[in-house]
Amino acid sequence: MTVATAPQGSARRALAPGLLRYVVVRVVSAVCVMFAVSIVVFLFIHAAPGGPEHAIGGELATEEQLESIRQRYGFDRPLPEQYLQFLGGILHGDFGESIIQKTPVATLIGETVKVTLPLLAFTWILAMGAGLALGILTASRPGSRLDRFSLGMTTLGASTPAFVVGTFLAWLFGVQLGWFPALGAGEGGLDTVRHLVLPAATAAIVLLAVTTRITRVRVGQILEEDQATFARARGLGRWWTLKHVVLRNAGVQLVTLSGSVVVSLFTGLILVERVFNLPGIGSLMVDAIHDRDMPVIQGVTFCVALLVVTVNLVVDLVCMAIDPRLRARLETNR
Amino acid sequence: MSAVTQVAPVGARLRLPKVPPLTALAGVFLVVVAACALFPGFAPQDPAAINAAESLQGPSGAHPLGTDQLGRDTLSRLVAGARTSLLGPLVLGLGVTAISTVLAVAAGWFGGRTDAVISRIIDFFYSVPALLVAIVVAGVTGGGFGITLVVLIVFGLPMHVRNLRAAVMERAHLPFMEAAVTLGLPTWRVVLTHLVPTIVPNVVAVFFVTFTYGVVELSSLSFLGLGVPPGAPDWGRMVADNRAAVFTDVWAVAAPAVAIVLLAVSANLIGEHVQRTHEQSRKER
Repeated sequence: MTVATAPQGSARRALAPGLLRYVVVRVVSAVCVMFAVSIVVFLFIHAAPGGPEHAIGGELATEEQLESIRQRYGFDRPLPEQYLQFLGGILHGDFGESIIQKTPVATLIGETVKVTLPLLAFTWILAMGAGLALGILTASRPGSRLDRFSLGMTTLGASTPAFVVGTFLAWLFGVQLGWFPALGAGEGGLDTVRHLVLPAATAAIVLLAVTTRITRVRVGQILEEDQATFARARGLGRWWTLKHVVLRNAGVQLVTLSGSVVVSLFTGLILVERVFNLPGIGSLMVDAIHDRDMPVIQGVTFCVALLVVTVNLVVDLVCMAIDPRLRARLETNR
Repeated sequence: MSAVTQVAPVGARLRLPKVPPLTALAGVFLVVVAACALFPGFAPQDPAAINAAESLQGPSGAHPLGTDQLGRDTLSRLVAGARTSLLGPLVLGLGVTAISTVLAVAAGWFGGRTDAVISRIIDFFYSVPALLVAIVVAGVTGGGFGITLVVLIVFGLPMHVRNLRAAVMERAHLPFMEAAVTLGLPTWRVVLTHLVPTIVPNVVAVFFVTFTYGVVELSSLSFLGLGVPPGAPDWGRMVADNRAAVFTDVWAVAAPAVAIVLLAVSANLIGEHVQRTHEQSRKER
């Protein structure tokens, strides 16, 4: 997304027609995407090798078992009818029942989210906070030792898989130094926080490469613009410039960045949960894949897709809210 | 090489800048890995030979990098694993580079409806995390190396198509390009002999970036037990299989982990070097 360096448009108080149309189109298209996702997720079970009966009954199921599965799950009925039933279930938060654990998928997701969500929040704060600080620091002192060091670290970070970082941290701080527990989710309270330190640090370190680099590039651009020079010439302090010139201008990129961090965190956490044996939603997914537990795969996929679509929608709307230039362009482009 | 020097002195100047020592080392490492991938016979021992009596030993004369949980020689497994660890990212890199170049040239050169269609599709795929889709597809279809690669290629395209398209549009209005069009050269000739050569450095950069991501993503999938079949000597899989060894003898985990990082960093360094030399030569001109 590029931001025009056009003169600042006047902020509009009321919802202008262009903006209203943009919001409606974005929300409607997000809903449409989720419908498309629900169709794809529904078809998963039919795409499974051996067909839906075998996906549920296993490869060794007898003909009678297959028949009873067909009747119980309604695989003998036409596809559109099956889909509508599936969609109805989803809308009520019902994703069916796990084949292996015999519990509702929604319950499993609810339990694992309790592990994943704090980890996600913890990591997000770490990655964004440290990335912003490092990016702004290095951009204000280009070519400094810190700048070159962070450039080297970003190269290394982009080339290191999360599971390698995690295994290394578990070995160093968990086994060698014994500062933090290397495995498990903890018993609640402070113990949980202690158990989350290494996993969160792992996911954050991998992301730090991206957050630092993007912040560094955008802030560097703004600091070279006339408005930054002018602010400095007026004798305004470093903090004033940061708040009124840099952050106001970089806002759109930073919001977009923080959204994509959430999205890529979900992939990263699958690996991290595996390394540290955390019973989160990523572990649920990987176990389900190995057990070929199709309803769980469907439920988790749908929930993750919902999260990705929601985050992207919120990011787009927040960008519109914080940058008057984007809103002004909506009105002129009509 | 010498013929090139005589015909095109500008091209010769491109190759002159000194290669930094780190980048040279990266090149050497890639050559070694490529040699191992081509000649798995380099392995000093049978990579699949199980010896429970010698499980998780540290480095010794018989086993320079120690043994894994099943007593297999780590060095031999590293050599044997070079093939999948190199081949996957290579296919991914070539696939993404080729397809994104074609799409970018089509969108950037022809513009109009072609551009609109390609750009819309790319926008849609942009916000979808490739690795996540690969994991889901592996879960639904039961996995397999080929289908995983296809998913990673398709979902790896968007960023590169966007960047290359911008590069094409930037070049499309250079004087010699407009001259070629004005002369009435057939479109395929303008595109192939005039346009594409100008974006070659960008294309090379795309290859190295995707190769690096390929190493990271494919080894991550192997670590999760998806992608390469069980038992295969793959570096990501070796880390996963010997994860418990961090508590006892770390060599069986450290060796493949370091190999993965070195491979990715090497590709990254060489890619950055290519880009830097290109930028320099552009400034000189």
